[in-house]
Amino acid sequence: MANPERVKASPLARRIAKTNGLDLSQINGSGPNGRIIKRDVEQAKAPPQQKPTAAIQHGAQTTTQPEIMPLDGMRKTIAARLTEAKQTVPHFYLTIDCRLDDLLTARKNMNAHLDGVKISVNDFIIKAMALALRDVPDANAQWGGDHILKLKQSDVAVAVAIEGGLFTPVIRAAESKGLKEISAEMKALAGLARDRKLTPDQYEGGSTSISNLGMFGVKNFQAVINPPQATILAVGGGEERLIPINGQAVVANMMTVTLSCDHRVVDGALGAQLLHAFKHYIETPVALAL
Amino acid sequence: MSEEFDYLVIGAGPGGYVSAIRAAQLGLKAAIIEREHFGGICLNWGCIPTKALLRSAEVLEFHHHAANYGVKSSGATADLPAMVKRSRDIAKQLNQGVQHLLKKNKVPSFMGAAKLVSKHEVQVTDKAGKTQHLRAKNIVIATGARARILPGMEPDGGQIMSYREAMVAEKIPSHLVVVGTGAIGVEFASFYRALGAEVTLVEMLDRILPAEDAEIAAMAAKSFEKRGMNIRNKAKVSGVKKSPQGLEIMIETKGKQEIIKASHLLSAVGVVANIEDIGLEALSIATETGCIKVNAQCQTNIPNIYAIGDVTKGPWLAHKASHEGVIAAEHASGGHPHELEKLRIPGCTYANPQIASIGHHEESAKAAGYEIRVGRFPFMGNGKALALGEAEGMVKTIFDKKTGELLGAHMIGAEVTELIQGFAVAIGLETTEEELMNIVFPHPTLSEMMHESVLSAYGRAIHI
Ligand SMILES: Cc1cc2nc3c(=O)[nH]c(=O)nc-3n(C[C@H](O)[C@H](O)[C@H](O)COP(=O)(O)OP(=O)(O)OC[C@H]3O[C@@H](n4cnc5c(N)ncnc54)[C@H](O)[C@@H]3O)c2cc1C
Repeated sequence: MANPERVKASPLARRIAKTNGLDLSQINGSGPNGRIIKRDVEQAKAPPQQKPTAAIQHGAQTTTQPEIMPLDGMRKTIAARLTEAKQTVPHFYLTIDCRLDDLLTARKNMNAHLDGVKISVNDFIIKAMALALRDVPDANAQWGGDHILKLKQSDVAVAVAIEGGLFTPVIRAAESKGLKEISAEMKALAGLARDRKLTPDQYEGGSTSISNLGMFGVKNFQAVINPPQATILAVGGGEERLIPINGQAVVANMMTVTLSCDHRVVDGALGAQLLHAFKHYIETPVALAL
Repeated sequence: MSEEFDYLVIGAGPGGYVSAIRAAQLGLKAAIIEREHFGGICLNWGCIPTKALLRSAEVLEFHHHAANYGVKSSGATADLPAMVKRSRDIAKQLNQGVQHLLKKNKVPSFMGAAKLVSKHEVQVTDKAGKTQHLRAKNIVIATGARARILPGMEPDGGQIMSYREAMVAEKIPSHLVVVGTGAIGVEFASFYRALGAEVTLVEMLDRILPAEDAEIAAMAAKSFEKRGMNIRNKAKVSGVKKSPQGLEIMIETKGKQEIIKASHLLSAVGVVANIEDIGLEALSIATETGCIKVNAQCQTNIPNIYAIGDVTKGPWLAHKASHEGVIAAEHASGGHPHELEKLRIPGCTYANPQIASIGHHEESAKAAGYEIRVGRFPFMGNGKALALGEAEGMVKTIFDKKTGELLGAHMIGAEVTELIQGFAVAIGLETTEEELMNIVFPHPTLSEMMHESVLSAYGRAIHI
């Protein structure tokens, strides 16, 4: 149990939380040092539930009536930011296939030497993307309106689906972190995201994002860029495919990824370079350890 | 190629110089350009010199009322030139203080009029007409505002004055008509009334101090009238006739014409932002109702160009300008400064009696949909106020009935401008009535009225 004394909140925020039956430990504080203030509680306050309509109360048409779902703060943010991104960021998309066999072997070997933490394919993807950005520094940048901001480390955001929406916590300087470290950090951030406890410094900024829908059987898709980032990598599921090698049909574990690029920052050739660097690290996992 | 600054500020008022110093503290290479005077309007022609004059008026009034305190004093008279000299000396001292602070923080200053020539370049023209170009990553526009001039009431260096002339007058007007009754208007009205001038306040709206809580404004009006001022509400100046003998001021009140004979007119009808000749057009920097448009981080539509203080939307207050200066500097250095909430900016008027307020007044709270609880406590019920001989005034508090949030506080009476900060802290920390009731206020102080006013909102006041 969290110690209720440890929650930092203004008296007014406490009062509003109490009268609305809200649990302060579930609310993100935006005040100094994460202090929960009125604005945070108001945002967390579930919008007033729609009263059941007369028709429903009378038992008629219950199942066919459309239902109005009020927007919560997260839905509003997602709506506003992604609409802006899709309308103002000139997206283009690059798709590539990566062979996973060596990576899967490496992962198996590594995990055999680890107890407790298990490194996931996604952890490899984070690290590969971070190193790719390091190797192709021109693609590690953000659009700044009248300038381009070149970043000096690879801050990789990872989309985490949660009930009713998603968060994109950021692994900072992922190029300098080991797989074990990335794995542990990702686990902690995903937990905080699910509890809606991420603080702005844990989700703001970033060089790129990774959105992985492989576990849902998705083969390939195109993701919307999360500004001010210049790219996002959409990752499909790994699967066995027949591929021709030297004229022979070979069964290989394959994964398809699509990179969405902000054309204002990353042109086609630069995006392709980044994607090739990524593919190289995925297909040559020993390079990840160098 | 000239050197490049990280942070270049145009205008050394309380917005600009504070912003430059904060930027320097944060490690940015900052510089500032000023065309006229360090400290801006505030230190040279606004906040400080007016407060110095009003203090002189207060000392004079003490002497007039000395007998009430058991002190025999006679023959106290106003020496206006000496009052003005004192006021100018204080302004000069602070002006030099600002230059010293800039030096101490290693912020170089350039004298001259600045004009943006590109997103990263400013041209500075000095008095002799010599120009130089400065380059910077970020530029801050802090050029402030000046008195609004209405046609027919242009300051003429004699009978018709703006605040500048009123601050350095050589003679006490025999009859001063003050047009506009915001803070600046009523402060000069109080000053010259204390010095013996006949004073008439002319307000276009239906009451004086239109930005204040109606109840407080009505108390102020009553008090001013008790001190011998004349007030014309819903009144418009329709013409001014000048002659060597004096002014004939035509006033239209609710359809009725009136001619007021006066020696002087002070036009105090607000300010207009200094947005001309600074290169806004060439860069297409957006303005809105005559002010530069900015976001919560004080950025204009060009992200590396900020605007702060009186050149942006009001309230036109020095502390608002300084606060925005800090926000801009912190944002430019990569920080995430907190937003300035306009309802949390206190405002003070240093008339006699003083007025201080923060947040919603009764009408605006209701208009915003709040159900409210109102607390009131009169100076009459406070021991310290009686000991001071200041039994006139009130502290009013407004709470949200549902949450106990302190929505606003409004005060009139002696030294209330020093008290309001207590409520500003309370609102800033989001206290409710409960914490305020539990806080210990020292006795005997005027601040006890703040406590009692909170108690009164919940039916618990003791001393009334
Ligand atoms: C009579 C009077 C009394 C007041 N009393 C109070 C009070 O009690 N409390 C309060 O909070 N506020 C008061 N104010 C308001 C307060 O003075 C202003 O809100 C404050 O000065 C705004 O600060 P600023 O930095 O935005 O602009 P300013 O103080 O106006 O400073 C702007 C500076 O920019 C310079 N400048 C302009 N254009 C250029 C250019 N192109 N190149 C270089 N330099 C340029 C100007 O010379 C000036 O020094 C008063 C104002 C007046 C007139």
